[in-house]
Amino acid sequence: MSEIDIQHINKRFGKVEALKDINLTVEAGEVFGLVGPDGAGKSTLFNILTTLLLPDSGSATILGMDIINDYLQIRRSIGYLPGVFSLYPDLSVQENLDFFAAMYKSSIRDNMNIIKPIWDQLLPFKDRPAGKLSGGMKQKLALCCALIHKPSLLFLDEPTTGVDPVSRREFWDILKDIQHKGVTVVVSTPYMDEATRCDRIALIQNGNIIEINTPNNIIANFKGHLCTMPTSDIFGLMKIMDRFELKCNYYPYGEHFHIVFYDDIKKALPAFEQFLEKNGRVHGEISSIQPNIEDCFIELIQMKL
Amino acid sequence: MQSIVAKDLTKQFGDFTAVNHINFSVEKGEIFGFLGANGAGKTTAIKMMSGLLLPTSGDAIVGGYSIRTDSKQIKRHIGYMSQRFSLYNDLTIFENMQLFGTVYGIPAKELKDRIHQSLSKLKMDDQANSLVASIPLGWKQKLAFATAILHRPEIVFLDEPTSGVDPIVRREFWKLIYQAAASGITIFVTTHYMDEAEYCHRISIMAEGSLKLIGTPSELKQQMGVDTIDDVFVKFVKR
Amino acid sequence: MKELRMILHKEMIHIMRDKITLFLVLAIPIMLVLLFGFTISTEIRNAKIAIFDQAKDSQSQTLIDKISSSGYFQVVAYPETESEIDQDFKDLDIKLAIIIPPNFEGSLENEKMATLQIIDDVSDLNVASILNNYILAICHDFINEYNGQGLEDGSIDIVTNMLYNPEANSVYMFVPGIITLIMIIVTALMSSITLAREKETGTMRMLLITPVKKVYVIVGKVIPYMGLSLISTIMIIVISVFVFKMPINGSIALLLLLCIIFMFTAASFGMMISAISKTQIDAMMVTMMGLFLPTVLLSGFLFPLDNMPMIFQILADIFPAKWFIIAIKDVMIKGSGFFDIWKYLGILILMAIVLIALSLGNVDKRK
Repeated sequence: MSEIDIQHINKRFGKVEALKDINLTVEAGEVFGLVGPDGAGKSTLFNILTTLLLPDSGSATILGMDIINDYLQIRRSIGYLPGVFSLYPDLSVQENLDFFAAMYKSSIRDNMNIIKPIWDQLLPFKDRPAGKLSGGMKQKLALCCALIHKPSLLFLDEPTTGVDPVSRREFWDILKDIQHKGVTVVVSTPYMDEATRCDRIALIQNGNIIEINTPNNIIANFKGHLCTMPTSDIFGLMKIMDRFELKCNYYPYGEHFHIVFYDDIKKALPAFEQFLEKNGRVHGEISSIQPNIEDCFIELIQMKL
Repeated sequence: MQSIVAKDLTKQFGDFTAVNHINFSVEKGEIFGFLGANGAGKTTAIKMMSGLLLPTSGDAIVGGYSIRTDSKQIKRHIGYMSQRFSLYNDLTIFENMQLFGTVYGIPAKELKDRIHQSLSKLKMDDQANSLVASIPLGWKQKLAFATAILHRPEIVFLDEPTSGVDPIVRREFWKLIYQAAASGITIFVTTHYMDEAEYCHRISIMAEGSLKLIGTPSELKQQMGVDTIDDVFVKFVKR
Repeated sequence: MKELRMILHKEMIHIMRDKITLFLVLAIPIMLVLLFGFTISTEIRNAKIAIFDQAKDSQSQTLIDKISSSGYFQVVAYPETESEIDQDFKDLDIKLAIIIPPNFEGSLENEKMATLQIIDDVSDLNVASILNNYILAICHDFINEYNGQGLEDGSIDIVTNMLYNPEANSVYMFVPGIITLIMIIVTALMSSITLAREKETGTMRMLLITPVKKVYVIVGKVIPYMGLSLISTIMIIVISVFVFKMPINGSIALLLLLCIIFMFTAASFGMMISAISKTQIDAMMVTMMGLFLPTVLLSGFLFPLDNMPMIFQILADIFPAKWFIIAIKDVMIKGSGFFDIWKYLGILILMAIVLIALSLGNVDKRK
């Protein structure tokens, strides 16, 4: 049985359809990513799965329990790390942990094995008010609080937003460790580049799930052919691209120009080179590169339209 | 021509050196990425360059004006946009642009023309009287950028301009930025997000108050022997 | 119950660490009491009185001069009849009237004896007795100076008449007023603001996502502030009684019981406000407009309700402060017992029950 099983969930706020017919399953032991821009519906789905919000229609089970009827049991078995720092800033590290442990009728000592690696890092600061910790430490404390009752399922709502790249990487390493301890992890992020850290991801946009797959499969399923070429006149190129007759997507990328061809590359590439020459554009070598998740996301959205 | 020249720019708060003798220059029309971990000194450096904070020693010439002596002039010649605050939700698009344009002293008639021009460039002419609250996030970011360059600044400071924005809109947003850069506006971007960094012409990485790395994304990747700016950053900081 | 204990513990930490708020909550009531208290002492210094001089001879004039130059009294009226005295109590708000008998000088000279009559407004016993003592002292002086003509102490017999004026507000009525406001600020406002703060900072979500009952969260939030306002109330009463000699004619236990019951009503208002407000500003506005202002305006402690238009008098009935102030006044001044005020206690308890039912009714529901 799946850890999470969502069937046809809809949610609407006034005129806005926040979630449209969401179906997905999360299996035990995986790190599942919910990837999409702000306002795509990630938080609404999180709120429903963490039993804070009721869906308008549809059903879902978490660890076999129904989100509508068994919500109190669900709350006992899930952990939740909110997107913004949500602990008591005037309570010390230890007091925060003690407090949340008590809310689950548990204690720090009972659950040392799961939080030990994070707790060891927090120990030097255990008497410091949580509000006076550095950003990275705050997040580790929040993670500790979310794990204090040994949840079998951990929800993380945009845990890496506003976190610098080094702390972010550390954080993902910690998540892997938690996964190895047998906790299923569901994480949301607006950053496409983080998707590759997950076992499977769901791409979500405007309340729709566009694709659910492993990051590698998503990239392998990319239909187009992504090429890059160095150029010093990106803006000039952008101005003439409207006139190129073959189907393509293009965008500036630093000192490079990226272009996705949708026709046979053996024909498209010479056609493009010809087009550049005809318009008197100097360019460097055009080479094929692997698309990233963002390229795939854009392609998938455009295919849907 | 250079838009920003920093010479031994330094800021101390008591014993703590937030920015330690940084030197760099940014060309006119360049998209320059300014990276660094939390607390590396980025914010302090930007505050000095936008005329909000006086350096302890050293100087920077921003748009031709010294931050030591002409901070008032600098404020007129720069634009600023951040992900956190951009436009007032309870004003219409037109009212927002009018407000910010007036603040920068654009004459009323001229301002009206410029607003219409920039809205038509965004293909949003018909939405001039919509409330900002009613438009999608990505569009807001595009509008905020158009508003930040309404007074034709020499330099625009962008603070994580597209984090969390829908990828299609984000690419449109970056096209706007390239367009502005091509018209001679210097773009100064600060971000935590390495994919935003990849879009820049040149990037610099700050750590512990000093500017440690500076170069084009491909130069830096080559220099560190890695494939992505993310790896450059991590490798550099861990070193 | 472990959860509730922990929530209470956490709440106490919040209160104890927020030194500024804690100081304000405890210091403001004391400051208010001292402020009002000293204002009243000065009121006693310049007490307004009326003198009905039936003698109009040189000795009565000497006595009147002595009284008016003593610095304690301000003679504002010289009534000519007893009914005029009654009028002066109502119109001029005099604290005391003195009636000098006809032939004052003659009686003193011939009988070595005279009788002064004093009419006190004893809606405030304390003020009345202080003022009486001043009059006694002045008469004592008067006799000393008259000496040589064979007067002894006690030659002037003072007969005190109590004028009970049930409509008059005691000068000490500010005490129930302050208690009412403190209860509302500390119990209703502080608890609802701190609860709204948890909603704003997201800690509320963290709490909701745990299996803890939301009732515990709210009750755990309100109890510490009830404790705090009880401490304030006791401090107010202690200062009033010991520093300013406030009279309490009824039982102190009953007074405390009344305060505790009113505290529950205020706390239930706090719960209600917490249930409907999402931000601290919301909570502040709702408390100020919906509870604080009506309490100040419609409780009868600043502005007499009798003179208000009917609509406001009806409105006043639905706020608890009016009933609390009536009851506390009865206990303090009339010395009413439990069976005299049980009706008011009942109203306050009923209000609390209705509010708690309303706010807890949808507390554990999800949307």
